[in-house]
Amino acid sequence: MTVLLRRMLGIVPTLAGVVIATFVLTRILPGDPAVFFTSSPTADAETIEAVRQKLGLDLPLWQQFLIYVRDLLHGDLGNSILTGQPVLNDLMQRLPASAELTLAAFLLAVVVAVPLGIAAALRPGSLVDHACRLISTAGVSLPTFVTGLLLIYLFYFLWGLAPEPMGQLDPFIPPPARVTGFLLIDSALSGDREAFVSALGQLVLPATTMAIFAIAPLARMTRASMLGTLGSDFVRTARANGLRRRTIVVSYALRNALLPIVTTLGMVFSYMLGANVLVERVFAWPGVGSYALDALLSLDYAPVQGFMLVMAAVFVVVNLLVDLAYQVIDPRSGLLSHG
Amino acid sequence: MRRREFLTLAAGTAGVGLLPAKWAMAQTRAESLRVLSEAGPNSFDTIGVGISRNSIQVTWNVYDRLVRFGTKMLPYGNLSYDYFRIEGEAAESWEISDDQRSITFRLRPGATFHDGTPVTAADVKWSLDRIVSLPVGKSQFGSGSMTSPDQFEIVDDMTIRVTTPKPDRFTLPNLALTYPVIINSTLAKQHATAEDPWATEWLKTNTAAGGAFKIDAFTPGQSITLSRYDDWKNGPLPNFRRVLWQVVPSAQSRLTSLQRGDADIVQDLPPQDAVALAADPKLKVVGVPMSGAFQFIGMNSGMAPFDNVKVRQAIAYALPYEQMFEAALFKRGRPLFGGEPGPATTTEFPQPLGYSTDLDKAKALLAEAGYPNGFDTTFSFELSLATVGEPVSLLIQEALGKIGIKVTIEKVPAGQLGTLLQEKKVPFFYEASAAYLADADYFFRIFYNGPTRWNFGSYANPEFQALVEKTRFETDKEAYAADVKRMITLAKEEVPIILLWQPTLDTGMQKSIDGYEYEFHRQLELRTLKRV
Repeated sequence: MTVLLRRMLGIVPTLAGVVIATFVLTRILPGDPAVFFTSSPTADAETIEAVRQKLGLDLPLWQQFLIYVRDLLHGDLGNSILTGQPVLNDLMQRLPASAELTLAAFLLAVVVAVPLGIAAALRPGSLVDHACRLISTAGVSLPTFVTGLLLIYLFYFLWGLAPEPMGQLDPFIPPPARVTGFLLIDSALSGDREAFVSALGQLVLPATTMAIFAIAPLARMTRASMLGTLGSDFVRTARANGLRRRTIVVSYALRNALLPIVTTLGMVFSYMLGANVLVERVFAWPGVGSYALDALLSLDYAPVQGFMLVMAAVFVVVNLLVDLAYQVIDPRSGLLSHG
Repeated sequence: MRRREFLTLAAGTAGVGLLPAKWAMAQTRAESLRVLSEAGPNSFDTIGVGISRNSIQVTWNVYDRLVRFGTKMLPYGNLSYDYFRIEGEAAESWEISDDQRSITFRLRPGATFHDGTPVTAADVKWSLDRIVSLPVGKSQFGSGSMTSPDQFEIVDDMTIRVTTPKPDRFTLPNLALTYPVIINSTLAKQHATAEDPWATEWLKTNTAAGGAFKIDAFTPGQSITLSRYDDWKNGPLPNFRRVLWQVVPSAQSRLTSLQRGDADIVQDLPPQDAVALAADPKLKVVGVPMSGAFQFIGMNSGMAPFDNVKVRQAIAYALPYEQMFEAALFKRGRPLFGGEPGPATTTEFPQPLGYSTDLDKAKALLAEAGYPNGFDTTFSFELSLATVGEPVSLLIQEALGKIGIKVTIEKVPAGQLGTLLQEKKVPFFYEASAAYLADADYFFRIFYNGPTRWNFGSYANPEFQALVEKTRFETDKEAYAADVKRMITLAKEEVPIILLWQPTLDTGMQKSIDGYEYEFHRQLELRTLKRV
């Protein structure tokens, strides 16, 4: 347990570094927000100065930083000028949407990629193996927005099978009472069938788009890892001893191949959470990615800093979970094995 | 009917949420308007800092103002606001005093705010005081000689008087702009604090209004639902009972939704989409040249060699106008190139400056200026205007190369050109701008005069400056016209900025939508729209 605690404490310097880095990066950006926000032809130098004071940008940089840190310790991530709301509120509102999309896409990708990789490893050089290679290459070489637009064109525009690609829920259905922020869970909890069906329908296309991209690394890693374990001595022994095929593949080969697969899972998840901006834009999904992008383009510092902090925190947590998972899978290589 | 096929399909296919459940009721669909745009509102305070352009679409329709601009018909059958005809909105009538310094407004009896309280002169005074007490509003109202709360006087419960030190033809139009909305002061004051006496924090996310629409639901960054205020007295009741406005960042999604019939209106179509949609028999595209908006090539006449008028004229003759108009705008706009050189004959501005592509003239002028072999320079544009800026910059680079001017293109990231222009660091650039008030002298005062970044050419001609000051408060119509014509002539001859065109505002909509009226703020006027 002390190892765990020590590991948790190790997060603090990481986060501190992220805080400093985000502050410096956003301040280094050229462009003066006060000028940007007073883009009315009647605004003169005085108005710009007044706005600059209001935004707190006339103070020296180190003072701005200290104010920023002090606010952070009080849980105040500042206000977004674009949305007019506190950044913390914006992020808390939008993070579940991104998380729901990422989790759905992630599950979809795992469900497709892992069996595909295993099947490809079991029959190297066969049709399945070639199919796995083809799907992975195609999935990773098409940019996400191209895949997204293609799916919209086919399923919404041509065939009318999918609902309008606009947001998480049909605009005329009132959202369910907010418990977790995940629409599927909330509508299930409040028994709202209409909302559940609508949310599920809206989720299909964007999740598929993101999943297609994530299948490639997962499938390839699974295949490579499985090939490695399938060729090892203990599997040969198991076969020689006449164990059932299912037992060999699942209990012996897969279990031992899991470590690199889990690492890839962690990386893919973190990447998907942060880099799904394009998918969020194409499907008008109200997530943190497109929120941060809009803020960045409008020289609105606070949301960008908040976004980077939250993403760093999520990445740290995911890494921790992956490490704990190692412990479960293979006690020899996990966290707690080091003395 | 597509809708019925849809519904039968929905009955058959389980699990996938198809059409919005409430659309199934045909009558509510007809009374509801569905609008899609790229960006949405971010504040309901008309003079808030950082308020986005799209926020005007909400504040314009949810709040009333004292007066509004009338309507006129444009050449191709489209309706537009008429800057030179002012009608009453919250004010039923008004009188201008003999010395032309005071306007006394009489409010419409029976008008109420959304919570039922009557609109009184006290509310109007509070709203106008608020404008001149906050920086953004104060600088705008200053252009109409309104700078202090003692200029607004309550005569009685339903009458308010606005007095200015000198007669100013900009006072009344300023009251018709987007800023001076009539706020329910009793409601707003309940949310004011000692540090925030004008309730700016609360008014950013809430409305205290009495306009034709009220806000039902608002999810920032996603959608906003408005519903009609049935007790609205300040104009004819809108046709639509409900308006759902959604923010959809992907242009492709907006278009497919319109083409499928799910959306009614899509705003701000880029030129190539406007041309493509206009060919679709089920849809229509309403395109109106944006009066008051203009796109131009700026030259900093504080930096050599652009301080030489012959150099500027040479460039004005060298630009490939027709090619740029076609490539960048697909000809969707009102050209400000071409026209007749020489003294001005009308007082309307912007108007064509009289330059057409003539490379020989350009070369001759450049030689006269002392640059027979040309010179090197940079050309900048902001990436937020890349759809037009990119082809324009490439064509300019090519054309100027032919007369010996070597151009290096510099792309400025979005939001940063303003700062560079503020610091007067950019010699040669493409930009777009707009002004709400149509008087020519207002245009010149902002864009051809002064130390601000809006004097794009850094133009500083003493004769011109004198005329700008003289026309500010000129009441003699003939003297004003003569002065304006002289200023236009100077703008044409000295060409501190080369006007290119006024782009068209293209709005795509279903054929069944009618009543579109172009407004100076380029957002939708929801109150006149109807479904036929």
